[in-house]
Amino acid sequence: MNNKLFEKYFVFSPYFWLVLFFFIPLAIIFKISISVSEWGMPPYQDIFLFDNGLKINTTFENYVYIFSDYYYIRSFVNSLILALISTLFCLIIGFPLAFYISTSNIRLRNILLVLVVIPFWSSFLLRVYAWKIILQNNGILNLILLNLGITSEPLQLLYNQYAVIMGIVYTYLPLMILPLYGYLNKFDLNLIDVSKDLGLNRFKTFFKVILPLSVPGIVAGSLLVFIPVVGEFIIPEMLGGSDRLYYGKILWEEFFVNRNWPGASALAFTGIIILVLPIVIFQMLYSRWSQRNEI
Amino acid sequence: MDKNFLVIENISKTFGENKVLENINLDISKSEFFGLLGSSGSGKTTLLRILGGFEKPDTGRVILDGVDITNLEPFERPLNYMFQSYALFPHLNVFNNLAFGIKENSSQKEIERNVKDIANLLSIENLLNRRIKQLSGGEQQRVALGRCLIKKPKLLLLDEPLAALDKKLRSKTQLELTTLQKKLQITFVFVTHDQEEAMSLSDRMAIMKNGIILECSSPEEIYENPKSLYTANFIGIANIIEIYKKGENYYSDDLGINFKLNKELKNIKTNILLRPEKIKIQSINNSKISSINSFNGEILEKSYLGSFTRYEIKIKNKIISVLDQNFNSNSNYNFPKGEKVICSWESESIKVLED
Repeated sequence: MNNKLFEKYFVFSPYFWLVLFFFIPLAIIFKISISVSEWGMPPYQDIFLFDNGLKINTTFENYVYIFSDYYYIRSFVNSLILALISTLFCLIIGFPLAFYISTSNIRLRNILLVLVVIPFWSSFLLRVYAWKIILQNNGILNLILLNLGITSEPLQLLYNQYAVIMGIVYTYLPLMILPLYGYLNKFDLNLIDVSKDLGLNRFKTFFKVILPLSVPGIVAGSLLVFIPVVGEFIIPEMLGGSDRLYYGKILWEEFFVNRNWPGASALAFTGIIILVLPIVIFQMLYSRWSQRNEI
Repeated sequence: MDKNFLVIENISKTFGENKVLENINLDISKSEFFGLLGSSGSGKTTLLRILGGFEKPDTGRVILDGVDITNLEPFERPLNYMFQSYALFPHLNVFNNLAFGIKENSSQKEIERNVKDIANLLSIENLLNRRIKQLSGGEQQRVALGRCLIKKPKLLLLDEPLAALDKKLRSKTQLELTTLQKKLQITFVFVTHDQEEAMSLSDRMAIMKNGIILECSSPEEIYENPKSLYTANFIGIANIIEIYKKGENYYSDDLGINFKLNKELKNIKTNILLRPEKIKIQSINNSKISSINSFNGEILEKSYLGSFTRYEIKIKNKIISVLDQNFNSNSNYNFPKGEKVICSWESESIKVLED
């Protein structure tokens, strides 16, 4: 292979990756979503039948069903709201932490970064389960509240949407902190002094200098939290109650409980399109904006 | 002229175990261009940062135009600070960088007029829509300067204002900076490690070392009559010779010659300074050798510098630097390496160093 050809292939290698691990699986899911379901293994019929010649055996019933049943739409909207709130909390908690880490001296910085990453070293399931133990009716938190006399009977802390939000913020916080830290680390701290010197107090300096220059980090961290949280299944399953349905949980049930593969695939495919399209458009607009502003 | 426009009183600062500033006292006049000169670690930048409000002194006060500003925040002080790296806002264009400090309290019309005025003053009108990354080093320096001056500060602090520029641009900018300062009549205090920069910019300058001020005077005074050995060596080229009283005159063991001084010395032994351009160099053939304020040496090294030739002349075990002005275009005027020459000087040129 000559050099030019190699360069060409090298440049396109991310696209090969994308085709192999995104578009092909997506195509398979789409194929299943338009198949007719039946009892068996796999639980759907082939889309091409050879019965007195070629016969195409597809249906869009599953899509019609998803959009006609308010249950699915509501669960998806619930998931979007959950992701939005969780991302916002991660940002509010993560930004000051990332800023503090990036401005502290090298020794403290390394210790703090390790502390941020340490939770990843233990099992995700165990960590969420630990929260279950902390929040349950005879759990540590209720015990403390009872002994301090703040409450007379145990509070229902578990199995509601607040427990879900807390669990998600706890789990996804490092994914917000790390990209933010990456950008804030490059931040010229003199700019803060300049802003103060030119007459802006701390509050105005934050909004006029620090925040605009952290936009790339905020965008990167927020996408990293938002996208997986929309499909998050385990945390709502373990900490959530029956008060709210979430997209990930319904998807799971459709696949593994109802064994309705075509229905579940239709749901998954719709979710991906609804989620990915705006993000792709946003990324295109954003990259054009950041190029213009040279951030 | 207000002699006590900026008063620095007993300022001390310690970082951990490290004493960075010790009892600094300075009075700076209105409209003065004042230089703080010192090598790295001398505490000069810390002093400037204290004036800017970015560090708080452990003891002492800073009084600007009669107001004690020691405990004011940077954004409350009627002064501005220009950073060494210029620290322009990368997310804003030149116009918005210039307007940054006046946006709060001015109307759109005022902002536009002020930015235009300052851009005219600094000849950067054509750059207003540029992004910071599209600017050269010299242009960035102007924008950083303009961003401060637009606030009409009582005092402008400059941290190594020319260090980020290349050599040719630096001398041009030096001249512009002094002209601008004289025109605007704003008090400038700047920090530098470059003695040439300090000499050419300052009306007065302070030499700092290990957190104290060794000397504070005009560049001429500091060059011609330095008080300390450190200053003599730090500014310009210095021949330092140790002498002691011997009979009517003074004698140097290193050179093996007699010195005649205009004044009596308090100490028996002392260091004297002889600047290289004060030494006259002559061919050994056409002059008599005197026994006082003169010696006979051999040219060890020579470097032709255009307007001057610098010679390193060996006498006994000591090497003396001499700068000889090239009056003649005749190349014979230059002495070749290895030539024996006579060096002599006037008694007034000998400067006694106090410590």
